[in-house]
Amino acid sequence: MSGVWVFAENRELTLELLGIGRILADEMGTTLSTFVAGDRERAKDYISRGANEVLFLPPLQEGQALEAYIPVIAGEAAKADPDIFLFAATMRGRDLAARIAARLDAGLCSGCVAIRFDKASKTFEAERLAYGGAAVQKVAFTARPAMAAIPPRIFEPAKEETGRDGQVRELPAAPPSTARVVEKKAKERKTTNLPDARVVVCAGRGFDKKEDLALVNQLADALGGEVGCTRPISEELHWLPEELCIGLSGISIKPELYIGLGVSGQIQHMTGIRGAKVIAAVNRDENAPIFGASDLGIVGDLYDVVPKLIEELKKTP
Amino acid sequence: MPNIVACFKWVVDEAYIRRTSSGELDFSAVDYKISEYDRNAIEEAVRLKDAGGGSVIAITVSVPEATKGVKDALSRGADQCYFIADPSFRDLEPAQTAKVLADVIRNRVGSFDLILCGEGSSDLYAQQVGPRLAENLGIPCFSFVQKVSLEGGKVIAERRVEEGVEVVEATLPALVTVLPDVNIPRIPGVKDTLMASKKPVVTVKKEDLSGLADPTLRTVGLSAVRMERTCEKFGVDAAEIRRFVDGLKKRGVLK
Repeated sequence: MSGVWVFAENRELTLELLGIGRILADEMGTTLSTFVAGDRERAKDYISRGANEVLFLPPLQEGQALEAYIPVIAGEAAKADPDIFLFAATMRGRDLAARIAARLDAGLCSGCVAIRFDKASKTFEAERLAYGGAAVQKVAFTARPAMAAIPPRIFEPAKEETGRDGQVRELPAAPPSTARVVEKKAKERKTTNLPDARVVVCAGRGFDKKEDLALVNQLADALGGEVGCTRPISEELHWLPEELCIGLSGISIKPELYIGLGVSGQIQHMTGIRGAKVIAAVNRDENAPIFGASDLGIVGDLYDVVPKLIEELKKTP
Repeated sequence: MPNIVACFKWVVDEAYIRRTSSGELDFSAVDYKISEYDRNAIEEAVRLKDAGGGSVIAITVSVPEATKGVKDALSRGADQCYFIADPSFRDLEPAQTAKVLADVIRNRVGSFDLILCGEGSSDLYAQQVGPRLAENLGIPCFSFVQKVSLEGGKVIAERRVEEGVEVVEATLPALVTVLPDVNIPRIPGVKDTLMASKKPVVTVKKEDLSGLADPTLRTVGLSAVRMERTCEKFGVDAAEIRRFVDGLKKRGVLK
């Protein structure tokens, strides 16, 4: 047996994996399979977007978490022997991928940002970031299946195509779990357009107090952009919600313009803005690493610079 | 009384990695440290012990030179340390490390109730050793946990997931990987460091293991990430600010 398998915990991420999965399957001349948990209606949607086969996971029992499917998924993979198995690297996805890899004795490239199939050698090569984003590690796989956990927004979602055909196969129900979910607390998700924003203004540690973040909002408004922040602002100071944290441990963005205010340019953060078309920075420390990775940088106190900048932008037609 | 195992990795401090003029990574002047999130794992183990009694066993798979890391772990409050060392362990992959840990925990540590790991290591950040170790030992696993407690033979954990927080529980033994916000690790004092020298260290050699798993991955390249940018700098007077805004305009990023 062979094939490309993908697993993600929601539709949006499944579509991204179907996108790259279809590309790989076509290059390899094989089939693409994906999973759907609980909702059988979804299967048609996935078939129209490139899946040849949808593996249906019956609904979980009360108190079971998604991890309850691990024995079912790993068992099916051991039988069907796919060539490659991709996961969406959400927190849950990274955990699932590692545990299934352990059961299959397979190699897993976590935080995978690129994957290629070499037709001549029929092998895969994957890339990931290491040392806080300072280095790119390339890995080859020496066991089957090749596995990778891919962060959100690396690949384009699969598009719908009419007239696609595929089959749905039902898998056994999850066995009783040793772990139990006792409570779920939904995140107070502040709606943010940050991931898709055209302009992002980012707050860094250069701010003295929370109230001063008003400057970030004002500049973002002047530019028609969204606000983001570095990890210390959300995780240590809790001045902004974690959804706005940009970097290796937060989200990656690809705006037209990024402006960092009081952002020093730690590599963990810069990793998240690599895809920006233009990077600009305001920092009073001339030697801040961000200037080495910016297109345009103002060396100066942000408290002095930002109001001037807003003024100038208003004048600019 | 629970036996708590805290796993840690002795890693290159990435702050010391330099880049040569040709853009290659230069590891010649690096220092080492206990991986950041593993400090949280050790701290959490010690806190659980302080709250409910028991003992804390620190454990690492490393090269023989990592003795400084062993002492650091002990000075952070662990009661004893299993030091699994061999010169060839520098480049173990997560799958191999997890199997070595499982081997030693099962066959040498023996009885344990809770295993704590950091969510990932600060060098390679593969985030696999914890979950793989749990599978190898056949015990429940909760990853990315921000709060953990022990109660009546159970572990109760608050794990972070996409939708928010999931409160989960399992009967011990179990494994938990912790997020950095689970606690603030202590900074060992002089007394802690002195006491650490008197604590027992069990050294396990490669020959003492029941074997080493074959690699499943091969690193075929490690190179510095390049960021090609124009690096233009501007001052703060009115003319400079105008020039900066013009620069944005020229690049077509203003509406």
